[in-house]
Amino acid sequence: MNRDRITIGVVFAALFLVPVLFFDPATTYLSRRFIRVLTFAIFAMALNIIFGETDQLILFMGGLAALGAYSTALTADYLGISPWFTLLFGALVAGVVGAGTCYVAARRQFTVIVLAIVTFAFQMIISEVLVGLRDITRGSTGFPFSGLELPALENLTGFGSYAIQFYVLVLVFGAVLGLYEWLKASRYGLAFSFIRQDEFSARATGVDVVKLKVFAGFISTFIIGFVGPFYAQNTGIIIPSLFSFNTVDVLVLIVLVLGGLRSRFGPLIGAAVIIYLDNLLGEFGQWRTVAFGLLLTVLFIYFRDGIVPSAKALAEDRRIPGRIGALLRGEKSE
Amino acid sequence: MLSGGLELLIDGLARGMILSLLGLGITLVFGLGEILNLLLGVFAVVAVITSSILLRTVPELAIAGLGGIALVALFALLLDKTVISLVYREKGEDRVLLGIFVTLGLSLLFEGLLFVFYAESYFLDTDVPSVTLWAVNITGSSLAVILTSVVLFGLIYYFFNNTFLGVASRTVIQDETGAVLCGISPRRMQSIVFVLSAAIAGAGGVLYALDAEVTPASSFELTTFAIMVSIVGGVDSIRGTVAAGIVLGIIITVAGALFGSYLATVTLFAAAIGVLIYKPEQIS
Repeated sequence: MNRDRITIGVVFAALFLVPVLFFDPATTYLSRRFIRVLTFAIFAMALNIIFGETDQLILFMGGLAALGAYSTALTADYLGISPWFTLLFGALVAGVVGAGTCYVAARRQFTVIVLAIVTFAFQMIISEVLVGLRDITRGSTGFPFSGLELPALENLTGFGSYAIQFYVLVLVFGAVLGLYEWLKASRYGLAFSFIRQDEFSARATGVDVVKLKVFAGFISTFIIGFVGPFYAQNTGIIIPSLFSFNTVDVLVLIVLVLGGLRSRFGPLIGAAVIIYLDNLLGEFGQWRTVAFGLLLTVLFIYFRDGIVPSAKALAEDRRIPGRIGALLRGEKSE
Repeated sequence: MLSGGLELLIDGLARGMILSLLGLGITLVFGLGEILNLLLGVFAVVAVITSSILLRTVPELAIAGLGGIALVALFALLLDKTVISLVYREKGEDRVLLGIFVTLGLSLLFEGLLFVFYAESYFLDTDVPSVTLWAVNITGSSLAVILTSVVLFGLIYYFFNNTFLGVASRTVIQDETGAVLCGISPRRMQSIVFVLSAAIAGAGGVLYALDAEVTPASSFELTTFAIMVSIVGGVDSIRGTVAAGIVLGIIITVAGALFGSYLATVTLFAAAIGVLIYKPEQIS
């Protein structure tokens, strides 16, 4: 428990220091990359709740983020108010769509693959509609979006707008992490693992599987819808291609599997590695797709439990922490 | 007006037959081995590109097309013996999930490679002339697609009903344990059907390229269309997939002409969602 607290403290201290050390007002490129890491880490944490905990694989994360971003931006525009006020509405739209889908899936007893295909089809529909409903969504050219800034806080603290954006996302990250930890420790977590291990006997012993799956689905999709506008804000534009299956879902899946399902900081580590790789490969054009394809294939064949948990298990297998401890104490290792 | 409607219907039929072929590519592999092959569109696009390259040296489109399809079959065999066999090692839901992710990863890998080396768009020009029957104008490409598809459906029907391999693979679809007891090796059948499905998808791709430009990006679109058709058709039913492809092709073409192409695509996905909600147990 104590070690856990120290790890959490170190991670958040490091996150707090990132803007101070790396954000340069003269160039926004690096700042935007760091914000992207946090965005994808939160997306992956949301997928961790719905897929990792309740085995519901959704493949419309891009679509949900789009629902959040478009609802937030368009209602704010229509009402003539700041998107800060419509942020929750956007998240709610995504949450309701997600919960509705999970409800139908749980009631009709969808297997993992059926839910994956249904949500994938929804992703395609959302992409098509965003391009097709030109009068409302402004089609494939999209529109600029920059309403989620906090100028008062920028003046007060002296930080730039990207640093404030980063801190806002650190807060969201912290909140999602707290929620996840609470869920896992509560009776919900127990029920989730019961459902995951044997749904049939969970039903038989009176666990309300439909309610729990809808609950997990709502939380996850609400989070994705909530972060969607921040994701768009970081690019400065809301455009359908930003939310496509290949740009969001594939990356989030790689991030989650790399970091490890049901792991606490796995999503953050996975997102950092993937965005760094993305950055590195950016100048090689389509070789980036090749590399991610290869990574996805290799990860799923050989490291389905995640690189981080695999490395941890390997280290524990070889008793590396014990040996390091022994070395530090000046004892001879076995 | 009437002739315009009939022309639309015939174009829809041609499009539907291509969708049926692509859908069959998904249905056969999923029915037999529970792998949802997201690589299918890549097979179609590779067939188009190789056919187009072969056309520079051979005079006939039919020969170039066959060459392209043969190459895709070889490519599929290579994949089946290597990566795909790792997926077949798993059982039940693990195999289904691993199948999705591995073929998704491979499709990104090959799509990326196609973009790097063959980024331009490919179009195969057929020399079949347009025909006018009772004031209804049938384009050469539609005619070529319909005639070739009919022949292909006949061959596929013959294969699954009159050859030992075809009947054996249907046995595996119906009852894997029973098939093993009859001395049939499911893994061998899975290999044969994987290669066959790639060849069918290749044929679908070549026919698709007679009427539309194909780029590496088309592979994703063709895969998604194929999955939706296969689902509407019942996933493990060969006849169902053929019928679903034709009906959806006609609906998409007519809806596209009446309401615009984006609503037509939405119809396709909505149909698949509707079928899955109505009968989720078809994929288990």
